[in-house]
Amino acid sequence: MADPKGFLNTDREVAQSRPVEERVKDWNEVYVPGSLLPIVSKQAGRCMDCGIPFCHQGCPLGNLIPEWNDYAYREDWSAASERLHATNNFPEFTGRLCPAPCESACVLGINQPPVTIKNVEVTIIDKAWDNGYVTPQPPERLSGKTVAVIGSGPAGLAAAQQLTRAGHTAVVYERADRLGGLLRYGIPEFKMEKRHINRRIEQMRAEGTKFRTEVEIGRDIDAKKLRKRHDAVVIAAGATTARDLPVPGRDLNGIHQAMEYLPPSNKVQEGDLTVSPISAEGKHVVVIGGGDTGADCVGTAHRQGAVSVTQLEIMPKPGEERSENQPWPTFPMLYKVSSAHEEGGERVYSVSTTHFEGDENGDVQWLHLVEVEMKDGKPEQKPGTEQRIPAQLVTLAMGFTGVDRENGLVEQFGVELDERGNVARDGNYATNVDGVFVAGDAGRGQSLIVWAIAEGRSAAKGVDRYLMGTSALPAPVGPTDRAMAV
Amino acid sequence: MTLPFPVIDNDELAKLIHINADGDLPGFKSTTLSGLYRVHEGGRGLSERIKEVCAEADAAIEAGARLIVLSDRHSDAEHAPIPSLLLTSAVHHHLIRTKQRTQVGLLIEAGDVREVHHVALLIGYGAAAVNPYLAMETVEDLVRDGTFLPGDMPAEDAIRNLIKALGKGVLKVMSKMGISTVASYRGAQVFEAVGLDESFVDTYFHGTTTKIGGAGLDVVAKEVAARHAKAYPVTGITAAHRALEIGGEYQWRREGEPHLFDPDTVFRLQHSTRARRYDIFKQYTQRVDEQSERLMTLRGLFQLKDERPSVPIEEVEPVSEIVKRFSTGAMSYGSISQEAHETLAIAMNQLGGKSNTGEGGEDAVRLYDPARRSAIKQVASGRFGVTSEYLVNSDDIQIKMAQGAKPGEGGQLPGPKVYPWVARTRHSTPGVGLISPPPHHDIYSIEDLAQLIHDLKNANPQARIHVKLVSEVGVGTVAAGVSKAHADVVLISGHDGGTGASPLTSLKHAGGPWELGLAETQQTLLLNGLRDRIVVQTDGQLKTGRDVVVAALLGAEEFGFATAPLVVSGCIMMRVCHLDTCPVGIATQNPVLRERYNGKAEFVVNYFQFIAEEVRELLAELGFRSLDEAIGHAELLDVSRAVDHWKAQGLDLEPLLHVPDLPDGAVMHQVTEQDHGLAKALDVELIKLSADALSADSGQDAQPVRGQLAIRNINRTVGTMLGHEVTKKFGGAGLPDDTIDITFTGSAGQSFGAFLPRGVTLRLEGDANDYVGKGLSGGRLVVRPDRGADHLAEFSTIAGNTLAYGATGGEMFLRGKVGERFCVRNSGALVVSEGVGDHGCEYMTGGAAVVLGETGRNFGAGMSGGTAYVVDLDPDNVNAGLRDAVHGHEDLDDEDKAWLHDVVRRHHQETGSTVAEALLADWDTALTRFGKVIPATYKAVLAAKDAAERAGLSESETHEKMMEAAING
Repeated sequence: MADPKGFLNTDREVAQSRPVEERVKDWNEVYVPGSLLPIVSKQAGRCMDCGIPFCHQGCPLGNLIPEWNDYAYREDWSAASERLHATNNFPEFTGRLCPAPCESACVLGINQPPVTIKNVEVTIIDKAWDNGYVTPQPPERLSGKTVAVIGSGPAGLAAAQQLTRAGHTAVVYERADRLGGLLRYGIPEFKMEKRHINRRIEQMRAEGTKFRTEVEIGRDIDAKKLRKRHDAVVIAAGATTARDLPVPGRDLNGIHQAMEYLPPSNKVQEGDLTVSPISAEGKHVVVIGGGDTGADCVGTAHRQGAVSVTQLEIMPKPGEERSENQPWPTFPMLYKVSSAHEEGGERVYSVSTTHFEGDENGDVQWLHLVEVEMKDGKPEQKPGTEQRIPAQLVTLAMGFTGVDRENGLVEQFGVELDERGNVARDGNYATNVDGVFVAGDAGRGQSLIVWAIAEGRSAAKGVDRYLMGTSALPAPVGPTDRAMAV
Repeated sequence: MTLPFPVIDNDELAKLIHINADGDLPGFKSTTLSGLYRVHEGGRGLSERIKEVCAEADAAIEAGARLIVLSDRHSDAEHAPIPSLLLTSAVHHHLIRTKQRTQVGLLIEAGDVREVHHVALLIGYGAAAVNPYLAMETVEDLVRDGTFLPGDMPAEDAIRNLIKALGKGVLKVMSKMGISTVASYRGAQVFEAVGLDESFVDTYFHGTTTKIGGAGLDVVAKEVAARHAKAYPVTGITAAHRALEIGGEYQWRREGEPHLFDPDTVFRLQHSTRARRYDIFKQYTQRVDEQSERLMTLRGLFQLKDERPSVPIEEVEPVSEIVKRFSTGAMSYGSISQEAHETLAIAMNQLGGKSNTGEGGEDAVRLYDPARRSAIKQVASGRFGVTSEYLVNSDDIQIKMAQGAKPGEGGQLPGPKVYPWVARTRHSTPGVGLISPPPHHDIYSIEDLAQLIHDLKNANPQARIHVKLVSEVGVGTVAAGVSKAHADVVLISGHDGGTGASPLTSLKHAGGPWELGLAETQQTLLLNGLRDRIVVQTDGQLKTGRDVVVAALLGAEEFGFATAPLVVSGCIMMRVCHLDTCPVGIATQNPVLRERYNGKAEFVVNYFQFIAEEVRELLAELGFRSLDEAIGHAELLDVSRAVDHWKAQGLDLEPLLHVPDLPDGAVMHQVTEQDHGLAKALDVELIKLSADALSADSGQDAQPVRGQLAIRNINRTVGTMLGHEVTKKFGGAGLPDDTIDITFTGSAGQSFGAFLPRGVTLRLEGDANDYVGKGLSGGRLVVRPDRGADHLAEFSTIAGNTLAYGATGGEMFLRGKVGERFCVRNSGALVVSEGVGDHGCEYMTGGAAVVLGETGRNFGAGMSGGTAYVVDLDPDNVNAGLRDAVHGHEDLDDEDKAWLHDVVRRHHQETGSTVAEALLADWDTALTRFGKVIPATYKAVLAAKDAAERAGLSESETHEKMMEAAING
């Protein structure tokens, strides 16, 4: 164990954020570069090296948190990186973007602030990149099998890396112009700078993974043909069908899905565009949906120069403490202030949008809402609480309802969907079509990056076993595993 | 050839191998045999290779070899190492069979040796010395790495440390098995196999007990092959970032060994009992029972037969009846916090079950609080806080013969955990570590145990006397002895219980599953007609209603739970119980951490009610209306369902389920009481005689009682029942000194004056047997020779062995020499004698011993407190660990001198001792003959206390100073 009394003698301390007024003027990550390193080893020393490390269970990847906390405490970054990569292909993604269910499950969190596990993780991997510990891990020999991976989000990349390292030739097909999926065009730069993706892709290329961008399976290549071309296929195309808001006025200009709004902003950062065609500059912005994607819209709108940003949520404001039905070590729904919220804007809870009102040009100007009350799990409008708020740009961040059903992929493969619009699979992540597997949001429905990586790893085992008869690859999660809950 | 240590490094091994390199020592010729086999040939290849090695050994001996090295070095993609234990034992037994064993020594060069238990096994199966080369190389690598070991530490030092730790660990194993020399331990085979095939054991581990059959050579070969395949994968591709497996033997990991308590079960257990949700509780038990089936426990392999018609659940006895059979484990106040300890007590008292004090005494406030008291008072080898008052206020008294998790070992409370409040209930000193001796110093035979049972029964005739045993081969015979020794309850404790404070070797490798011990106990008791008079209890990781029902069918009528109710109280299996850093305030005394405790008695109540509810459901299915009906019906356990795991196929569990042929009407559970013979005790007369004192309303009003009686050695435990009456009436303070003052003439039986409380003085003119003043609790005992005797008393023995064992207060004046183990674990009494045998003042923690004569060997071993004054002390007789505690007469201060004078004067006055008289006659000279033994830490603590009190500090400040002094020595 690192320090038997660390949790008694050291208080929790997290990464320092740059001042709001500074950071909203740029798109760089919000943290003060290098601010973690001086504190993080001592923070890792707060780990109690539990007999039952609930963090290790709370993490879908099964990250060996006590082990690398110990290494971080002892400042052995190379060994820490080795242990971290034992379960996580892309800790630089999770270390920045994961909501850290591990910290919710941390045993210290029963009665004290939990260990800053996510900060430790990101420090280890940043150190590892800086010191050159992250090197390509090509397989010692090739199996002669090829596997197509559809989608280059975290699930697809994880599956591809695992399969490549197991000796198979993995080819990743991405319909966008750049690799990374939601990581690339969904996550704003200020949450994760895209250089992290590029660096990891370079490692993967060096290991032998092949990448094909701007190829959409179903549209550009017939899925059946693809299946014939490869020994196996992994569908990791995400759950990209966005939930819509069919209320009067939805067709007005200036009302966009979050995934229409965020990508062009990221393209500006990539240098493809000078300004985003959907910019918040000088506008009253309303974000519908109180989740992480909503927060990403809020932060992006701030940086684009919005006059005001309002985020609407139909559910009541969550508590700041665990409620009885969300006991430790479950991952609770709590009120949290993300970096975007620190930067301003208003959050309105228990409201539902009734309709939009536009001007003579058909541009949206007002959003009409009404307060709601939850009755038997359903929102009920409260009469007399109607009001309108100015809205010149509205983004919808209301979640996703399953895999893309437009581009022909589903029909061409002939894969079955489950009742929630996800691709159905068995215990090995195999679909009903021989040799076709599914991983990530495409099979699970919208979820966290950490689940996507875990699924990619697990599906890779299913594929490896399908191809070779046995597999020594790890499978951290089963297709039906869910986070611990009451 | 003599080796100083059974674990040797590479140089030492090389020396042994090459000892005859020049040909000048042909008597020590060595041969190295390769312990590798062709892994793809499986079990057959393994068996053939073992045969070959045996033949090679024969040839080597024929050729004059006297040292045979069995080596598993140089394995490669085709050759895997034979497990070193299998190889060693196979060769060892082959050589015994062929009568060549004494001609050679076996040296083991093995890569699979890394833990104490591995070395302990190898030596126990015949190895002369073990060279754990891979473990040493690993240590070397760790040094080179510098992360866990200081980089400037020479690798040789680190290796030395490893070797020392492995070797000393074996010593510890030997000590708990009661074996003193490696020579006696080597080949002693003090092991029991669980789950190994009989013919396999007979061939390679001849003489080892294996009761339930199990895996054989093929399974071993399969496991070797699986490990080998990890190093040499078939695909030729090694996994990135996964050089070594993560493990998970001692701490749960997702990819490691399964544990019954994992995040899921802990979470569901805690949440269900906190929210009182039986539905979630059922999820918990279902998961535990399922995992149990996956070979984690023997009970997991049983199915409940449904051959009897089930009964409606309404007809089954209620939860409130079932919970009375439940008790919580013996966890001491000290090892766990007051909050945690009281939670369990309050819950059990609410339920009508029983909580257990553990080996730490009980705070006086709790003794009399019906809500917070513990019904079961434990009496363990340390006898901490075992006073008359403690025993009188018990419902059950439990003699801990051994502890399931660490049989053969005593508990140990490190100094920093001995906070003032803990020290108070243990009658010890804050900050000074406490060691429970491995054995009870008053039990060396079953007769001694019977005596202790009798003593305790006298100390509280209303209490049931338990004897706690550990499940192992032969426990049935011991249990039968315990029943004959008139215990009211026998507890069969399983191996997998245990705390995070147990040594890892014990936690994993000592003791057996309760299923085996319980079945054996039940069968033995039934066959000997002893079952009807004794209650059988079992414990050891009971977690679910199913566990309880299986235990009942195997013969248990009461059930103990420890880990589960602690988990309910908030324990999350941190396994740092020994560090005082328990983050949930359970296994700690640190006030900051105790604040964080969030357990509540109602959660524990919920737990036991849920368990009982589940028991009811299962009883209904089985067709029983009460647990009493179910007890002993082992025939309802089904093992026929094929065990589908490849490792379980050879198991034969039928012997566990045997129900002896019994005459009609024979009962399978307790129906009658033991006859303790108390009605015939001399104390019946003493109590009558003391009526005037006992009938008083308060101690102050008690009329003095004087009497004179004859005594014979059939009068055992004299004064103890009288003491019980005094304590029951007047509490722990007893009566004013000498209120009851009775003189006996004759020869007293054993345990004269045991647990005697204050206010009772027993004088014996004659002599006494063993255990005089055992557990003395404030009373006074004077033993002097018969007034008509004409021998020189100081040269004669006046009383036997083990006097004042576990005494907590009072005085004893013994005119003459006494036996061995004098004043062991004394924590408060003053005892004067005129010579003592070996092992005097062992494990003493307080009080004073004055020896006006010779001492035997090993004086003061493990002594951590108290003071001994000895005339003409020979320092060589003092235990080596205590040399710095010995002081000459020049270190006696005025206070010492005045105190000593008073004690010697009173010894003379009480006993007419001529020795005392002579010392007093020339006191100044006499003083120069006294030596003083006082443990250094204890001395420092007392000095700090004195200083603090002189400075006028408050009680808590004083305690702080004392703790500080203890930690700084």
